[in-house]
Amino acid sequence: MTDVGKSGVLPVAGWALDEAVARRFVAIIAVVAVLTAIIAASAGGYWLSNFTQAYCTVFAVMGCALLYGQLGLVSLCQWALVGVGGWASLRVYHSFHPPFLVSMLAGGVIASAVGVLWGLPALRMRGLYLALVTLMLAGAFQVVIAVTSFPVGGPGFLGQVGADGNARKMIARPDFASSDTAYFVFVAIVMLLGILLVEAHRRSKPGRAWALIRKNELMAAASGVRIVFYKAWAFALSGFLAGVAGALLAGTFGQLDASAFPASQSIVLFIGTLLGGTGVWLGAFVGGVLTQAVPALLTDFNVNTYVGLVFFGLALTHALMVAPEGLGGQLTALAEGLRLRFFARRPS
Amino acid sequence: MNLLPFVASGLGLGGVYAMSSVGLVILYRASGTLNFAFGAFACLSAFLSWQLIQEGLAPPLAWLVGIAAATAVSFAYGRFVAPRMAHRDRVVRAIATLGVALVILGSTAWFWGVGISRRLALPTDYSFIRLFGVRVTGTHLLAIAIALVMVGGIGLLLRYTRIGLGMRVLASNRHVSALIGVKVVTTDSIAWLIHGAFAGIAGLLLADLVRLDQAYLTFLVIPAAASAILGRLSSLPGAFVGGLFAGLLEAILTGVPALNGFRSAGPYVAALLFMTIIGAGRGVGANE
Repeated sequence: MTDVGKSGVLPVAGWALDEAVARRFVAIIAVVAVLTAIIAASAGGYWLSNFTQAYCTVFAVMGCALLYGQLGLVSLCQWALVGVGGWASLRVYHSFHPPFLVSMLAGGVIASAVGVLWGLPALRMRGLYLALVTLMLAGAFQVVIAVTSFPVGGPGFLGQVGADGNARKMIARPDFASSDTAYFVFVAIVMLLGILLVEAHRRSKPGRAWALIRKNELMAAASGVRIVFYKAWAFALSGFLAGVAGALLAGTFGQLDASAFPASQSIVLFIGTLLGGTGVWLGAFVGGVLTQAVPALLTDFNVNTYVGLVFFGLALTHALMVAPEGLGGQLTALAEGLRLRFFARRPS
Repeated sequence: MNLLPFVASGLGLGGVYAMSSVGLVILYRASGTLNFAFGAFACLSAFLSWQLIQEGLAPPLAWLVGIAAATAVSFAYGRFVAPRMAHRDRVVRAIATLGVALVILGSTAWFWGVGISRRLALPTDYSFIRLFGVRVTGTHLLAIAIALVMVGGIGLLLRYTRIGLGMRVLASNRHVSALIGVKVVTTDSIAWLIHGAFAGIAGLLLADLVRLDQAYLTFLVIPAAASAILGRLSSLPGAFVGGLFAGLLEAILTGVPALNGFRSAGPYVAALLFMTIIGAGRGVGANE
């Protein structure tokens, strides 16, 4: 590793990134770009729609992985936050008809605020109790969203149109990404920005603060880390990611279905997060694809979806017992091993 | 407005919640694991019994087989899988039980198919009492009675027997209990056995009272957890009362037109308020 001197530092958005980090960023961009290009070129219709959903799910998984991987907090309401973000972005869209990006960011910001609010108990609780609080929130959200449903352009705050199906309005995709393939690429680019945002956090001041808090809160406080601030920041960031995921999902279908947001889906999302692994960015990617695309693809191959559930359960047990770094961690270790073997010019 | 009829129907639902939350707390008190697969064990027992009755087996025998199956799965998990995660913290152990829950949910859904209307009838369905003009069936009363008996029985076991003492020590601190000579594996296994048998019985009653549906039974553990929180996760009578309260709350909200649609959120909101205001963090293992 070269000395982090003047030439090795790239000031990116206020964060100083050294060469290794820059290399990692390039690797992330390359992997996602290649996968996206392959899928965009070869998949159509059903598969494309599923991969678009999977990429949206990657966003939500990133939020989960951030809380668990950085702070050791188990949040079982992440999918409900996706619903909150989706609801907010649809609400904003049907009220003001702004460009899609504005609705999307509004969804992210509102879900972020809700995420901080929901995370407040976390300032007092940890471990199992936080998991239960968030599970209760997800349960309550499931009931509330089933009653209020998602806005479809009707009058009033809830924006419902009653039984008249023709009056339902859709959220418009961005002008430059209106076709399914273009929208998929758009989602991929937003997802990439999300991954880079999280990586930038992990490798700078907030990441170090989180690591210290996770290790020992008293120690962190003693070394001058503002615990409440950085915990709230983590919840805000993970809520933002979930909210953007909700908006992107809304854009995929034009609307959202209340029945797609049961509390059990938040549980499945967390399991997907663990299976992917929370230590490396690839984990969230693998987790999102596992949670969303694999069940749908099994259906397409005429394999019973429930067989997938069985494997999911077995994989979770396996991951918790012997592979805490998850699939993403194993893949990264494999890639690193290959790189050292074939491309390493210097030992690192 | 007269809410008394809703109270009577709430007792029925309360029985369901009380039973599940007592089931959760039994294991939590005895081994420190919050088992999210409780509903899945119950689901397995109900479906197996249903199948055997369809095959022409005498119902009592079919129920026994169902309960035995739930007990066996619970024992197998508690004996062979759970110990390998015993060194992880409480929340990871709880999450790990989701693995077995998914395996059971997936295999029962695969084997029996979903969305098919099935009915598991118990003989107690046909007897009922009238309470405030509402019919409360024998099955509802049976659920409340079994939950009460379990609360009493397990309470006595924990309080007065050697093995119960071992369970309390084990739930509090696994390493120290091993150091002072508690037979960790045996004690743990007994806790899982009792828990499994109870899940099996609960499954039969819940399938009859509510619905014979895999996902529904499996995720009934979420409102059950809400009820258990109302009992601070640690008190068996608390879990029973919490369950009854959750059921009553939901039923009474049915009678309030403005909140009718939101009634199922009642237990969750109550649990959230309870945790944030009163604080559930002082129960067993809260300092972990």
